[in-house]
Amino acid sequence: MRETDAARPAAFAPPVTANADLATLMTLFSAAFPIGSFAFSHGLEAAVAEGRVQTAGDVRDWLAVLLSRGSGWNDLVLMSLAHRAVKNEDAVALEELATLATALCGSAERRHEMMSLGAAFLAAASPWTGSASMPKAGIGDADTAPLPVASGAVAALAGLPLSPSLVGYAQSFASSLVSATVRLVPLGQSEWVVIIRDLMPTIVETAERASVSTLDDLGSAAIVSDIAAMRHETLATRLFRS
Amino acid sequence: MTDRRAFRPPIQAADAAPAPNLQRARGKLELRVKRLDGRTRLDDLHQAGCLKLRFPKVAGATSEAVLINTSGGLTGGDRLDQSFAVGAGASLSITTQACERIYRASSGRAEVTTRISLGEDGFLAFLPQETILFDEGALARRLELDAPESAGFVLCESVILGREMMGETVTGGSFRESWRVRVGGRLVFADETRLSGAIAEETGSAASLSGNRAFATLLCRNEAPETLIEGLRETLGENGGASLVDGLIVARLVAPSGYLLRKRLVPALAALAKTAVPRIWSL
Repeated sequence: MRETDAARPAAFAPPVTANADLATLMTLFSAAFPIGSFAFSHGLEAAVAEGRVQTAGDVRDWLAVLLSRGSGWNDLVLMSLAHRAVKNEDAVALEELATLATALCGSAERRHEMMSLGAAFLAAASPWTGSASMPKAGIGDADTAPLPVASGAVAALAGLPLSPSLVGYAQSFASSLVSATVRLVPLGQSEWVVIIRDLMPTIVETAERASVSTLDDLGSAAIVSDIAAMRHETLATRLFRS
Repeated sequence: MTDRRAFRPPIQAADAAPAPNLQRARGKLELRVKRLDGRTRLDDLHQAGCLKLRFPKVAGATSEAVLINTSGGLTGGDRLDQSFAVGAGASLSITTQACERIYRASSGRAEVTTRISLGEDGFLAFLPQETILFDEGALARRLELDAPESAGFVLCESVILGREMMGETVTGGSFRESWRVRVGGRLVFADETRLSGAIAEETGSAASLSGNRAFATLLCRNEAPETLIEGLRETLGENGGASLVDGLIVARLVAPSGYLLRKRLVPALAALAKTAVPRIWSL
């Protein structure tokens, strides 16, 4: 972390560095980054099975709620705070965030989803962070790093600026769930690209809000989404693990 | 506590503690109960301002406490602080005398803080009646619970958006609910629910409330949660869900009206809290 900081003047990032950051960011938050997010539907499988989500428009609206005032929004707030905690070398704050992010997942599969993805993300991102620089006291062992906290910490350790990292996370959150619905609804290629396009303003605006957020900004209105995640646990036929 | 009072500002109780702004309701309450001779007894009680407690006589080992907000409802700037300490082996159930009404706030928000602590083998059921958020009402509520591994509890908060009888729609306002639940010193559950802005429009979304006007969150810790969860899922029906996470039963439920919400909640609470369900929670 200190090495990275020394090599990177805080006040001005030259274009070359910005492009390097962009390449890192696109790698870490790409659907191809090996963390296994394709295995989780975040409750959408139950929502589709029970007729709550039936069309491309339904998928777009559902995800817009999650991003702007649901679990996606909470993730972005937690990621933003984790990024700040690592920047401030505040291991205590980081650990508290990891605990809170875990406790906020109020159902078994969602908690498993967040922890499993977080652990996989930390492991896969280790070439960018270096095992020596990972704040062990903060994140603890790899099993206890929920995805948004792991993402914020890794982005900070890799020297990535906060705002684009949040865009990367939100985009990755949306596209992985859209690809789940491609299989579930199902959706054609021309439909899902439109969903992603339509969600762009929400992704950018939400990431911007999250970049200046505090703990007091946490809060979700996505209650039926939480219920769908619970109902997934007893769904008869399941392709996804959440 | 009738709807006729809805448009009047909350009335300060005659014996209320002096507050900086007399237009605002203040209430503070601290209750401590202990186990004595196989029953739960009052250990200590402080009440000030608009918060009062009554103890109806009930049979059995669980004592019942009924919270009364004498201000008749909450509006911007009102503040309630309540804390409940259940001693080792004691058993307490808490409810409210009426639904808490959150009136239109001209400025600020009402704040309600509840702190609960349990001793070894203690039990608490915190089952306030529904909170009704009127149009342009603003409420921030915080609930903190600390329990040892040996204790049990049932928590339920339910919210109704607008007064159905008057066909009211909550076009604006804010609702914020924060829970922090610690067992054995460890944070095992947290909830952050927030409705704000154009509430009726925003809760119309399928992922939010799907147009439902009422919702509830239930949390339960007892000796054999896995034996209860299947029955609970059936009771909650297709607009509810339940999960077992970190030794806790977590359940959420939405319903088109307060009545239909209660119809599901009453059997759910009976299954989870058993004999500790206050009489008010019956149909």
